[in-house]
Amino acid sequence: MSDSREAAVLMPLVYDELRRIAAGYMRRERPGQTLQATALVNEAFVRLAAERPRHFENRTHFLAIAALSMRQILVQRARARHAVKRGGAPQRVTLDDARLGDIGGAGVSRLGGSRPGAIDVEALDEALTRLAAFDAEQARIVELRYFGGLTVEEVAEVVGVSPATVKRQWAMARAWLKRALE
Amino acid sequence: MTPPPWGRLKALFQGALDQPPGEVRAWLRQAAGGDEDLIREAEALLQIHETAGDFLEQPVEVDPEDLVGPAETGPYDSESDAASYPADVGAGISRPGLEPGTRLGSYVILEEIGRGGMGVVYLAEDERLRRRVAIKSLPAVVGRDAGLRARLRREARAAATISHPAVATVYALEEIDDHVLLVTEYIPGRTLRDEMARGPIAPSRALKIVADIAEALAAAHDAGVVHRDLKPENVMITRGGAVKVVDFGIAHVEGPSITRQTVSGTIMGTPAYMAPEQFVGAGVDGRADLYAAGLVLSEMIMGQHPLLAEHQDVGAGFLSAEALAKAVSRPELPPPIAHVVARCLQLDPGARYGSARELLHAIEEIGSSVGSAPVSGDPRNSARWWWEFHQAVTALAYWLLVIPSWTARGVIDRTAGRAFFIVTLGAVIVSSTLRLHLWFTSRLYPAELRWVRSRVRRAVQAADWLFVLALVAGGLMIGETRAPLAIVLVSFGIGTAVAFLVIEPATTRAAFRSSTVESS
Repeated sequence: MSDSREAAVLMPLVYDELRRIAAGYMRRERPGQTLQATALVNEAFVRLAAERPRHFENRTHFLAIAALSMRQILVQRARARHAVKRGGAPQRVTLDDARLGDIGGAGVSRLGGSRPGAIDVEALDEALTRLAAFDAEQARIVELRYFGGLTVEEVAEVVGVSPATVKRQWAMARAWLKRALE
Repeated sequence: MTPPPWGRLKALFQGALDQPPGEVRAWLRQAAGGDEDLIREAEALLQIHETAGDFLEQPVEVDPEDLVGPAETGPYDSESDAASYPADVGAGISRPGLEPGTRLGSYVILEEIGRGGMGVVYLAEDERLRRRVAIKSLPAVVGRDAGLRARLRREARAAATISHPAVATVYALEEIDDHVLLVTEYIPGRTLRDEMARGPIAPSRALKIVADIAEALAAAHDAGVVHRDLKPENVMITRGGAVKVVDFGIAHVEGPSITRQTVSGTIMGTPAYMAPEQFVGAGVDGRADLYAAGLVLSEMIMGQHPLLAEHQDVGAGFLSAEALAKAVSRPELPPPIAHVVARCLQLDPGARYGSARELLHAIEEIGSSVGSAPVSGDPRNSARWWWEFHQAVTALAYWLLVIPSWTARGVIDRTAGRAFFIVTLGAVIVSSTLRLHLWFTSRLYPAELRWVRSRVRRAVQAADWLFVLALVAGGLMIGETRAPLAIVLVSFGIGTAVAFLVIEPATTRAAFRSSTVESS
């Protein structure tokens, strides 16, 4: 079985759960409040593991899928938002098979721009895809840490390397990405 | 400068991290062996590393709105039963709602009946034609963008050509000021989601509903419109019980998928009902709707979404054709229906039914077999006969036991005696009625038996226990006053317990071999 096929099945579940949590949060909180990826992903895991223990018995596995889901959702939203600003003449996004494609085209839900000072998710995504072409492990580590909010130890477990390696890889990927985004 | 080999750069960069700050430069020169380009590149990256601050160190902050899509926020106003109306929900592109009484062209807004990413749905009065209509007010961005408007017009035009009783008719696409309004037939009633919230739907009725859906799909596909977001929220059940599929193609303006997101602010369909090809962004045709129809059919009968049900092992099989088939080969689904569902849920669109009409024919064929006698030659038939026999005899025996209970009532003191008799009689009525119902279903509507059993099993068990406890308690209360009667009651109590704890599970297992162990 391949990871990408598995993710294709579990991602809708994860995506639904993330959405459910976000919706609950929106009902409780003032608009404009943000959620940290770490909190979201962990809450999603706790809920899904309770509801469907068989699918999510492996936490690291779940975390990897959740990070990928978050990346795709946020990138899709950012792109769509961007497209609206450009006057609705969006280009077709080429999907990279290795990345599983489009999670159903997660759409934009808001037309506002990104917060000042925030990372340009779209640009980061592009840079990550470039990085993945010559160092897939580094790209994965960034995806897990930034989009999934995983700790160094969790990343180490998902990727199957030591925490020290994660830190070294992270340092380099971060430097490279920072330059790529400037 | 061509970029230095990544592997060497990495060795250099990461090696340098381990050096004491003052010695990095010297270390680099030595390790790089005089490759100046490599050294420059490594130093540049190290420099950025030093000054990167908390770049990327904090995980991404998510605006919850970015995650919320359709189906979650409650697509319709559940408070108002008359006006429940589906809508894509994405919460996002909000504009203040239109107040009741607002006039837009010849339409007068009566009340808001749904809200979603694709806009807000209102009940309105069309004053020209004096009829009630549903109006979907599309996000302002649609009104401002000529390209989107053109696309929406095309899509609405296509949807408006669908003429079928099971399809909510599109009346008009109005562009008034900066409002873009999609005017459709108003359908008072409930959504299929509401129906399902009351519990599983009997297979015969589920088949009828999905047959209507298939007819609606056939009409739409003929008109060149693919629904793409068929789900229980988009199927209305009118008060008369008629089925109407709403939102055909409306939320799904043709074109690159990203455009659709721009227009609607929602994802392209609800993940749980999306066909595999919709996930990978491949070309989508009517067969994606058949996939969704299969899911809806199984969900109606099983009472839960088959792929989200926890009893199956999607986690191990991962969307292989076998895993999908396995997900729906469940005891609640009568085999012929499971067969249809499995065909709809094929990974490869080419392996599904070729058209909505083919699906419809398949459903009609089952329809004629549901309600007929069990297929002869079924090896389970004799076991089933014994199971039916057990149900009938048990029901009869319970009633016979009412006679000694009546006698016992007179022996035990007044209040306790009356209570004893009422409890016994109540348990007998419940248990025997349900058992006769099972017997009757098994004889006349075998296809629905599993479904009926799953509904009544607990009630029968509870009544049986109550009956046993009442008999034993009655016997003990009588005690030595009338020992023979007490002995009769207690031994019948024990006998009944043995019957439903030992004999019945055996006949049940034999009769329903494929299911997991359970007693009815």
